[in-house]
Amino acid sequence: MTSNNGESVGARTCVASQFFKDDKAIDMTTSEKVVDLLNQAALIATDSKLTVLKQVQELIINKDPSLLDNFLDEIIAFQTDKSMEVRKFVIGFIEEACKRDNELLLRLIANLNMLLKDESVNVVKKAILTFTQLYKVALQWFVRSKVMSEMQEACWDMVTQMKEDILAMLDIDNDGVRTHAIKFTESLIITLSPRTSDSDTPKRQEGDISLDKIPKDHPYIRYDTLCEEGKSALEQLLKFMVHPAISSINLTTALGSLATLARQRPMFMSEVVQAYETLHANLPPTLAKSQVSSVRKNLKLHLLAVLKHPCSLEFQGQISTLLLDLGMSQNEIARNTPAPREQRKRPRIEPYSDGKKLKMEPVLLEDDDDKEEPVAPSVSKPSSVPAAQSAIDLTAEFLRPLLSPENVANLVLISMVYLPDVMPASFQATYTPVESAGTDAQIKHLARLMATQMTAAEIGPGETSKDLLIKRKVPVVGQAISVVGGGYTEKSQLETPQVKRLPEPILPSTQIKMPGASGKRKVFRLADVVQPFTDAQLEKMTNTAVKRILHSEKAIAQSGMSHVRVKLLSRLVCQFEGIMMDDVLEFILEDIRTRIDLAFSLLYQEYNTYLSQQPAGLLDAYDHCLFTLLAGLQEKPEQRDGLFTKLVLEAPLITESALDVIRRYCEDESRVYLGMTTLKELIIKRPSRQFQYLHVLLDLSSHEKEKVRSNALSFIKRMYEKDQLRDYIEKFALNYMQLLVHPNPPSLLFSADKDTEVASPWTEETVRQCLYLYLSLLPLNHRLVHELASVYTEAIADIKRSVLRVIEQPIRGMGMNSPDLLLLVENCPKGAETLVTRCLHILTDKVPPSPELVERVRDLYHKRVPDVRFLIPVINGLEKKEVIQALPKLIKLNPVVVKEVFNRLLGTQHSKTPVPSSPALFTFLLMEMIPPTSTATNLCFGERNVYTSEVLAVVMQQLMEHSPLPILLMRTVIQSLTMYPRLGGFVMNILSRLIVKQVWKYPKVWEGFVKCCQRTKPQSYSVLLQLPPAQLTSVFERCPEMREPLLQHVHSFTPHQQAHITASVMTVLEANSKQPEPEAMRPVMAERKVMGSGGTHVFCSVCH
Amino acid sequence: MPSHPLRVAVVCSSNQNRSMEAHNILSKRGFDVRSFGTGSHVKLPGPAPDKPNVYDFKTTYEQMYNDLVRKDKELYTQNGILHMLDRNKRIKSRPERFQSCKEQFDLVISCEERVYDQVLEDLSSREQETFTPVHVINVDIQDNHEEATLGAFLICELCQCIQHTDDMENEMDELLQEFEDKSNRPFLHTVCFY
Repeated sequence: MTSNNGESVGARTCVASQFFKDDKAIDMTTSEKVVDLLNQAALIATDSKLTVLKQVQELIINKDPSLLDNFLDEIIAFQTDKSMEVRKFVIGFIEEACKRDNELLLRLIANLNMLLKDESVNVVKKAILTFTQLYKVALQWFVRSKVMSEMQEACWDMVTQMKEDILAMLDIDNDGVRTHAIKFTESLIITLSPRTSDSDTPKRQEGDISLDKIPKDHPYIRYDTLCEEGKSALEQLLKFMVHPAISSINLTTALGSLATLARQRPMFMSEVVQAYETLHANLPPTLAKSQVSSVRKNLKLHLLAVLKHPCSLEFQGQISTLLLDLGMSQNEIARNTPAPREQRKRPRIEPYSDGKKLKMEPVLLEDDDDKEEPVAPSVSKPSSVPAAQSAIDLTAEFLRPLLSPENVANLVLISMVYLPDVMPASFQATYTPVESAGTDAQIKHLARLMATQMTAAEIGPGETSKDLLIKRKVPVVGQAISVVGGGYTEKSQLETPQVKRLPEPILPSTQIKMPGASGKRKVFRLADVVQPFTDAQLEKMTNTAVKRILHSEKAIAQSGMSHVRVKLLSRLVCQFEGIMMDDVLEFILEDIRTRIDLAFSLLYQEYNTYLSQQPAGLLDAYDHCLFTLLAGLQEKPEQRDGLFTKLVLEAPLITESALDVIRRYCEDESRVYLGMTTLKELIIKRPSRQFQYLHVLLDLSSHEKEKVRSNALSFIKRMYEKDQLRDYIEKFALNYMQLLVHPNPPSLLFSADKDTEVASPWTEETVRQCLYLYLSLLPLNHRLVHELASVYTEAIADIKRSVLRVIEQPIRGMGMNSPDLLLLVENCPKGAETLVTRCLHILTDKVPPSPELVERVRDLYHKRVPDVRFLIPVINGLEKKEVIQALPKLIKLNPVVVKEVFNRLLGTQHSKTPVPSSPALFTFLLMEMIPPTSTATNLCFGERNVYTSEVLAVVMQQLMEHSPLPILLMRTVIQSLTMYPRLGGFVMNILSRLIVKQVWKYPKVWEGFVKCCQRTKPQSYSVLLQLPPAQLTSVFERCPEMREPLLQHVHSFTPHQQAHITASVMTVLEANSKQPEPEAMRPVMAERKVMGSGGTHVFCSVCH
Repeated sequence: MPSHPLRVAVVCSSNQNRSMEAHNILSKRGFDVRSFGTGSHVKLPGPAPDKPNVYDFKTTYEQMYNDLVRKDKELYTQNGILHMLDRNKRIKSRPERFQSCKEQFDLVISCEERVYDQVLEDLSSREQETFTPVHVINVDIQDNHEEATLGAFLICELCQCIQHTDDMENEMDELLQEFEDKSNRPFLHTVCFY
């Protein structure tokens, strides 16, 4: 090292001297120059600052080291410079200075420690490199000084601490820093382990300190401690190597370090080879393809380097297997294999199972020049021997005989299942055909590989004895190194060659480390690498997983495992508390017909979850599930398969929101029947909640859509027949009707979406809403009618009107024989008179009243409410005299009512058979009109189908019979004649008979008589001629224009006929010139009278 | 970003075509670059594939140029060898052998796998002293003029990217992966120590 320094110093001196020549102050002292340069350095920019500082370094370290001490502080002051390069220079300076003057370590180590924690990684790296050198310098220096001052002790403590810090940097984030830490570890291990004759030490490091040069009696630096530290560093390095996420560069670095260790410290060769083996079998999965190639290339390179070392002999099997795997030819391997040394060519001795551990020890021992040095832990030696059988060894031994071609083939076949579809890049890169397949060595290798994996997985026979091994592990590992410095018995030396000849040299004692290493890997490393997923990642992954199951429907169905899938899905969805619920539900709804089983599975799973969480469980998830399914079904256009019904009826529980969907379903006009059938089934089949369901149905009975309403009503009517539901329905209907007593319609009458003003008035519609249900029940249960009456009495006028309008159908349905209806009529609550009247009207509208009804009405009329209007509906059923009694009152009512009365009386309402008595009644009516009005008669004449000419003839006959003559007689006659002109002859007859009755005594009738004659001329001439002369004169006085035609009429008579005309009449005719002879007329008139009255009598008897 | 320019070595077999092309471009872009060959001799194409022109590393480009002009000027003009030598001699006087150079680099770029192996072998056979890391990257380039030019640009881009990293060692892995994807060729990469 010194010589090397010399070289570089020489080179640098040149640079410096060049500078000196340029400098004007050639004659300045070195000290002055340094001061000058330092002053410059403080002011100039980084680039030139470095140059200047380097000059200073040359001056005070190489040219005049005596100045070093003086200017040390000034240089060190630059360690806080903002330029990273300047700080790195300071580190370089510290290194140079300390190498030049070890004493300076005491002052500078703390500065280096500071720089080791610099914020720039490049500075840290430089510090690590420097410390790698200075650690050896420090150790050497302290070891030399037999007595340590307090300062030195503190310095050494700090060095130790820094060493630990750098070892800890193996875990740092920065790749480059880790790389440097690895190199430091390598150097540290070499320093803290003894150099042996086998050691392949580079010439430059010949003088370096190593463990073997540490005195065991040093006052402060403990040999044992250092030894342990070295081993621990190796352990850390090995542990680091098996980190699954190690970067390619770190791995490369570590591989190189291991090779260096194996060559310089062959005692570690077994560990190194073991590590290579493990690595080869388990390349980190994080490496990219090209990185795998790079690492393999390195591995090959380093394996070759190790192989070339003479101590590799016993590992040749393992190494060459590895090299073969890495693609090196057998020949090449052979070329690089060192010839075995003479001394090892001993005759082969029987295998000694405990010998593996000992194999390497002689190697260390043979050239150990410090044999006489005490061996501290030699006591533990015996225990190390049996422990050499590591778990891997045991398992490998166990496996080897089992690897028959058949078993291996089976294993391969089984593993096929787990192979990925595409060959991973790393495998493709690393795969090399197994050259020695089937050979004993290869089977052994295979067994070992498997054993490694199995041990890592904590299975296999080796594991069963692991407890023991773990307990022993620590002392054993310690032993491996500590024995190095110790002396061995002749016996062990003798054994060595035997061991070398063992048939299985592949298995080195380093196996001891394996369980520990692999164990630690799991316990310690795994946690480092395995990071918990974030919630989002987890969710995403679960989601995609479930989706995959969800969408693999067909594939699974083909394999006949649909039920498993369904079960799996429903459980998963439930477990994840519905994260995927919506997806699954949507999926189901896409084709619910085929996925109904999944739907049910899901429902029941959710319900089960709910039950299992009782009593605190929430139905939310279940509710959501059921609701979505039902709502989804509802939105589907058309299905006749009854899935909706099925879902509703088979769901374990119908929730409120589900019920809402059912209700909506019922409200859909195209599905109302299906919906209500479902609802009905629910009501019947789920008695525990039947009233809840029934309520929905009842609610629908007042629905605004006619179709919905009528369906609901018909369903309810059917329900009404069931005893257990009857009360509820009735109560509901009555409650609803009871609403009518409110002054304004309550808000519940309006569907929720309508913006209601509470104060809106009752309308026909709202009144009907309250009554639909009631009215449809009424025909089924007549008793209910009394409730209507009581509500009616309290309701306002508008409502009353509406009620009267809507009750027609049900009342008619009840019929007039209904006892309750009769009772109602009989009781007729106060205020319900109009209602009762209306009922009566409805009942008698089409059919004549029954005697019972008439009886009740009569009773009511006479005893309680003497309102003649009650009588109208039953007027047909009343006795004649009752009618006559009531008629005057009736006639005083308004014309519409009167008309109705007459209609009823005349039987026109019941058009089938006219009431026979009507002509008589009519006659009666006409006589009784007081004051005489023409209204009634006009009405009668309007009914031509009733008042036929025959009837009128009878009526006229009867009227004429009456005495005194009724006032309206002539009016009736005239009207009859107007309607039926063919009655003319009959009317003449009447007129003639009136003359007999001395009609002129009734002024009104007489007037009509004259009018009638006037209208019926010339037919009436013969009648006029029958009049006595005085009356004829009266006629001519009223109608003078009649005289002349009548006279001419007489003149046209035959003389015989003229003979009948009395002279007095003729006198009247001839305008008082001649007096007619009244006597001559009489007998004729008397004769006619007899005939006429006889005929009338016959007619009348027929009528009565 | 390292404050000093990357110290780069470009290495091919004979330090004639690929490494010199890259040397040319890199030096123009301001890198501290040197080029080397790893072969035991410098070989240039001859009149037939089995008759190469073989020189040792002490022969200058100038001498080779003159030698070939003398041998068959037309042939060597036509296959571009003379042109190449002409360019080379303007960059430096003679080819250099990597194994003989003791200078330290930050980055060594080899132009084919065999050369990479030789570089690694050489570097790991050296005695370690300072433990300063050197990254070795192999970029496979076919040994002809066109590929050499393309390869040189790729190398140059790679170096520029590395030069611009904040922390070269920490970002190297990722950077190389990106480059692999971009250029669609694998890079061998390792680290050695001086």
